Amino acid sequence: MMTYSIETNVNGRPRAAEVTARDTLLDVLRDHWDVFEVKNGCEQGDCGVCTVILSGKAVNACLTLAVQANGKDVVTAKGIGSPKEPHLLQTKFVEHGAIQCGFCTPGMLTSAKVLLDQNPKANRQEIREAIAGNLCRCTGYKKIVDAIEAAAAKPES
Amino acid sequence: MEQNKFHAIGRIARRKDGIAKVTGREVYSSDVTLPHLLFARVLRSPIPHARIKSINTREAEKMGAVCITSEDTPDIKYNERQVSIPEKTYRDRVVLPDKVRHVGEGFAAVAAKTESLAEKAMRSIEVEYEKLPAIFDPYEAMRSGSPQLYDEICLGDTKLPIESNIACHREVGEGDVEHGFKEADLVVEKEFRTGRVYHAQMETKSVVCRPEPDGGISVWPTTQSIHNTRQLLGRIFSISLNKLNVHRVPIGGSFGSSIQMNTCIPICVALALKAQKPVKLVLSREEDMYDHCKYPVIIQLKYGVKKDGTITAGELKTIVDIGGHNIQAYPLLGCMAGWFVSLYRMPHLQFDGTAVYTNKAPGCAMQGYGNPQVSFAVESMIDIIAEELGMDPIALRLKNYVGLGETFWGQGPTVRSVIRSCGVEEMLLKGKDMIEWDQRVSPDKKTGRYRKGVGVARGFHTSGTGAPTPGEVIDYSTAMVKVNEDGSADFSTALMCHGGGTLEAGAKIVAEELGIPIDKVGISPADTRSTGYDVCTHATRGIYCGGASIQRAAKEAKAKLLKFASRLLDVNPEALKIQPREESDQGHIFLPGSLEKHIPVGEVAKMAQYKGWGTAIGVASHRQVNCPPCFVTNFIEVEVDTYTGEIKTTRAVAAVDCGTPINPDLAAGQLEGGLCRGIGLALLESTDYDPETGRLTCGGTFIDYKFYTPVDMPPVDKVKTFFADTYESSGPFGAKGVGEAANNATAAAVVNAIYNAIGIRFAEAPVTPERVLKALQNQPDVEK
Repeated sequence: MMTYSIETNVNGRPRAAEVTARDTLLDVLRDHWDVFEVKNGCEQGDCGVCTVILSGKAVNACLTLAVQANGKDVVTAKGIGSPKEPHLLQTKFVEHGAIQCGFCTPGMLTSAKVLLDQNPKANRQEIREAIAGNLCRCTGYKKIVDAIEAAAAKPES
Repeated sequence: MEQNKFHAIGRIARRKDGIAKVTGREVYSSDVTLPHLLFARVLRSPIPHARIKSINTREAEKMGAVCITSEDTPDIKYNERQVSIPEKTYRDRVVLPDKVRHVGEGFAAVAAKTESLAEKAMRSIEVEYEKLPAIFDPYEAMRSGSPQLYDEICLGDTKLPIESNIACHREVGEGDVEHGFKEADLVVEKEFRTGRVYHAQMETKSVVCRPEPDGGISVWPTTQSIHNTRQLLGRIFSISLNKLNVHRVPIGGSFGSSIQMNTCIPICVALALKAQKPVKLVLSREEDMYDHCKYPVIIQLKYGVKKDGTITAGELKTIVDIGGHNIQAYPLLGCMAGWFVSLYRMPHLQFDGTAVYTNKAPGCAMQGYGNPQVSFAVESMIDIIAEELGMDPIALRLKNYVGLGETFWGQGPTVRSVIRSCGVEEMLLKGKDMIEWDQRVSPDKKTGRYRKGVGVARGFHTSGTGAPTPGEVIDYSTAMVKVNEDGSADFSTALMCHGGGTLEAGAKIVAEELGIPIDKVGISPADTRSTGYDVCTHATRGIYCGGASIQRAAKEAKAKLLKFASRLLDVNPEALKIQPREESDQGHIFLPGSLEKHIPVGEVAKMAQYKGWGTAIGVASHRQVNCPPCFVTNFIEVEVDTYTGEIKTTRAVAAVDCGTPINPDLAAGQLEGGLCRGIGLALLESTDYDPETGRLTCGGTFIDYKFYTPVDMPPVDKVKTFFADTYESSGPFGAKGVGEAANNATAAAVVNAIYNAIGIRFAEAPVTPERVLKALQNQPDVEK
């Protein structure tokens, strides 16, 4: 089968792989590069647990072909912040009990990160819309919305 | 207030696994990787009922794949759930069968170097099926002459013939129900149905296993019970338990879907044993959806009541369509009887339950284990009775609920205990004010396209399955607590955290008992070799049962610690106390009233080490002898669009009586999540089957199996939660459970609210827009 060489930057680290035209970004992240914080939930773009930031946009890694990521930057939950220096969103997720099983969390965080990068003062409705593609079976979403709202800049009164 | 004296219990603390989860460091089963790992795929039946006449794996083997079929796996009948005693365990399946009983049932498997090669190898297998007639309706299944799924199965180790596809049957009665109905002024009767809901946990069932040089095997599975997984694998593969090590791995949601040793686990083990290499098996979403579902029920419910609202008799008959395998139908029926009996007092009662095999994915426990289904029927019926009698629905509930001092069936007729803490009245009255119940008007006073209505429902769940006498259900936990030489402590237990904070609660229990800060307590990794038996983290037993064993282990460690301190301080150990001190960030042991007699916990542990006195360590294996109910109450407001039939939930109040809330923030999160799933059960979710093909009409995908997204879940901003102020003296620091209770009342509260909005009683869930529109068309007096 014909293969293509791709090069990307994952959380600031250069990565390369030989991929086929049909390999998804999710396949390559998990199977080639051991980027396991990008979860696999449905492989059909329905659940959002594989959401990553691809050159500033939140995408489902399972619906993105690996070749589409060539030359681009990929950011995952690990790239947003570290245990020593967590991003404000990550801190707020912990403080607000926005995590239960945690399987949807990396995807939720990447969607939320893109939202706040583009719209730092996002309100609750905008938050809900931004994470509409991220399913969570545990929480009922309230505490997730609370956490993102707490991380957003306060609107001027 | 008991709570105020606690320094750890009831405090909001950052959960210990939080940072790992938000920074992508948590490793789930599906993330476990090992050197030389092979990837497995399972060949599954596209036909709902067939005998496998022949399987040809030659092509797959040529590709380098390791293949297994029924001939390679032990012919040992098992039941993936191992919580009941063997005499009550129905065993009807083997690792790989030569007969398939539902679409998606696996009967062969391959392992290869990559997932895509495994997939290719799996597709190359040639199969000759002998198609058998299939059956999808439980009533048809019971008719004589219908296709039979089984001739016989095993009950424990005894052969049990199966007739008319009846997997099992249970009758429970007390008093004389006919006499009770004769005493009644009003007899009401109605049929209720609930859907075949899919668990939809975000991580599909997964497992990694590695054969060990000593002939044993190590396993990293998605499961709620590492010890039961170990015991079952030992039995199936004749491996000594000391060579079987099952690791506890964080799970990406469960809701009951991994209460058992999932069938992918022994398949993966069989592949690894044959290949003598580590193997990983991660189910696709479609495979997962064909693996399990919630038990759908048909309930015929009948109550007799006096004019003053006193219930004189109750009768509940149920048919449960369990699908192709009997995982836990027998205890389910017993529990359903218990849920029915424990909601409202009935001097005369009768329960009659039948579980029926059909050619569909098997039902298994899902949050509430029959309780949301029974509560859906009973709580709808209480509203019907209230209306017939002209009583307020809350007043009728207050008159009849089973409360303090009364007997409660926590896990069917053999697990009974007396209620010692009860917040039912408080929750009903406070919730009533919060939702502004008194503003509620009857449906005939509502007009316009959008109609709002408010409904209430009660519920409860058991906290574990303990009882004064051993019943059909095994229930105990083991824990170990040790104090380290710097004043910190570790605890280990095979309990599982499904996300709700069970192990966080364990840490707080240790901190409270030892008098050290929460931050100083570590949760040890667990596997079956290094922990004592724990039955399973199910039945809302984590904190009440598991936590009680942790508390006992901590008490033992503390007793040793105080003994060591007493030698160092020259004081009787009984006179000493421990409290955390901020300035040193650890616990201090002190003699109350004395300024000199005090010493940090770490100093005591260190001196005990130097002097060779030993480690302050405690181990407890403990069975609770109660199973107190954690009561819940939901008030829900809905808005019905009479043009489209769509229903939105617009406000909700969810309350729980969980005794002392050990993790108040996480317990509130449980209530919110439970509410969301309960609304799904009421309005949205079910897996339907095409009777022609036996396949799921949703195709096994989230495209067509809908559950709520953040946008569709209206109570996100309008949900209020609160805790009843109770203290359960038999629980650790006054705690009971929360977990399953959270969704038990919800579906009934939703249909009661719909009735209040449009005056139409829906007795079948989910109440989809199609069903609403159809009902509205038959009800011309609902003005548009």
